[in-house]
Amino acid sequence: MRPTQRRRDIRTAYLLLSPVVILLLAVLAYPVAWEIWTSFTAYSPLQDGATTFVGLQNYRQQLADPQFWLAAAVTLIYAVVTIVAKLALGLGFALLLSRPFRGRALVFLAVFLPWAYPASVSVIGWYWTLNPPIPTAYAAFMGGVKYAVDGVLGGGAWAFISVSLFNIWRGSSFIGVLLLAGMNAIPLELFEYALLESKSPWQRFRMVTLPLLRPFLALGVFLSLTSAFADLANVWMLTAGRIVFPVIGTQAYWLAIHGGQLGAASAWSLSLVPLLLGALLVLFRLFDRPEGEAA
Amino acid sequence: MNPRSWRAKLVRSGLVALVVVYCLFPIYFMLVQSLKTAQEDVFGNPLIVLNPSFENFEELFERSGPVRGFVGSALRRSYPFLDWIENTLVVFAGTVALTLVASVAAAYALGRLQPPGFRWWRRIILATYVIPQTILFVPLYQVVNTFGLDDNLLALLLVYPTMAIPFCVWILSAYFQQLPREIEDAALIEGASRATAFFRIILPMSRPVLVAAGIFTLGTIASDLTIASLFLLNTHNQTIPAGLGTMEVALDELAAVAGINLMAIPVVIISACFARGYVRGLTAAMVEGS
Repeated sequence: MRPTQRRRDIRTAYLLLSPVVILLLAVLAYPVAWEIWTSFTAYSPLQDGATTFVGLQNYRQQLADPQFWLAAAVTLIYAVVTIVAKLALGLGFALLLSRPFRGRALVFLAVFLPWAYPASVSVIGWYWTLNPPIPTAYAAFMGGVKYAVDGVLGGGAWAFISVSLFNIWRGSSFIGVLLLAGMNAIPLELFEYALLESKSPWQRFRMVTLPLLRPFLALGVFLSLTSAFADLANVWMLTAGRIVFPVIGTQAYWLAIHGGQLGAASAWSLSLVPLLLGALLVLFRLFDRPEGEAA
Repeated sequence: MNPRSWRAKLVRSGLVALVVVYCLFPIYFMLVQSLKTAQEDVFGNPLIVLNPSFENFEELFERSGPVRGFVGSALRRSYPFLDWIENTLVVFAGTVALTLVASVAAAYALGRLQPPGFRWWRRIILATYVIPQTILFVPLYQVVNTFGLDDNLLALLLVYPTMAIPFCVWILSAYFQQLPREIEDAALIEGASRATAFFRIILPMSRPVLVAAGIFTLGTIASDLTIASLFLLNTHNQTIPAGLGTMEVALDELAAVAGINLMAIPVVIISACFARGYVRGLTAAMVEGS
């Protein structure tokens, strides 16, 4: 291509990128910068006067706080358990739907619905169903479950588990549909070829299906990781902070809203970023390999 | 039919039944709930409804009728549900349109025009998903105030697109990138501009991926409760999720469930209509080098 044309294309490209970049900068860049800055201060809306810069004190305090490590452990378990469950169920759905059978279109719709059903309202219904507030017909039963679980795992455990179940229910649907899209992308000849090569279905699955699904799996894991934390936030809003089970996100809310310690809260919530970024970098290797895109 | 394949078929049908129950039971439960009278809610079987009625739905629209059940009239609030529906429509339609236009523009730039470092642009845009939303609303509130959008639907139109844009840019740019160069070249040689080639050739081709991006956007913003509840305080300005979130569930549980269904049904119908296109679009976007 001629160099002038190329230069004009690049200018057009930046022009076309600008709406997205401006939007992301306005909505994300300033808040993130604010959060990072605040995490180095003792900022609190409950105190008058100038904000004092405290350096790494918030982080040091946080790392010395056993509460933080408890919350970090619970967060990690929550993330791992929900993701494994979502992947297993989603993969199952996709495998089931990848072959034709009578009524497949309807079963596909059923699998699609938990994700399509607006989570902002289904989380309300789900939460109040598992934690019924008033004497409805099933309240006694659910109450029994709640006290049994809380008795073993500590107060708030059942409420927390019900959020995890919701996240799994909705996320498995999203991953199932995503993986089904991935399976549709695998050329049929490959399956036929594999059928000649190996008798064991497990072998065929491992050698053909899994490697070709890898980009879809990685993208699904990443998106469900981020949505797992968004669901926690929704329930927090819903119950006005009545979920006291220690997770990093909710503890940060607690510090910010009830304690007014925005500095510490910022430090808490930022402590997830390295973890998520690390996960993302690993995943980029899986679903965005540069050499594969040279074409 | 030999017994083996017969057994395999049985296992398969069993699995299918299990999957359907697992996926639909919570939805069924909420639907049944919303059709119940207060009496039946307390004393009836939780799984079925014997005397379905629409009174919970009616209650959302007008709450001046005679007091029923055990809740005194003093405790009742009325909800501007019609306003909520209107607000939700405006916000959702606006967000989907805004997200698609912005994402298509950016994706075309990254996938077709490929400025230097375009792969990193894409990655950085997708990486914005790692930002924890936890207490981001505090500074976000400052941003919204700066623009004078406090308690205004436009605040959601500002924030919501950023929740869907990274994924939409990702799949759209992957799709645009793997389209062969010749598709445009033919038109460019004929003397058409890049814009014409885009609107006449590329855009019509990418309908499935646009559908996928649109459905993803709808699903994502329909899942937000936090931002809507935080930024819309006046009850007349709220969207359905924000409004339902403020309902006193102990008193209005049935009306709340009815509201859930009213919000869900249109979204579900739209999604169901496009479900196949959604899968086709995701497939088209992710297939490398075809």
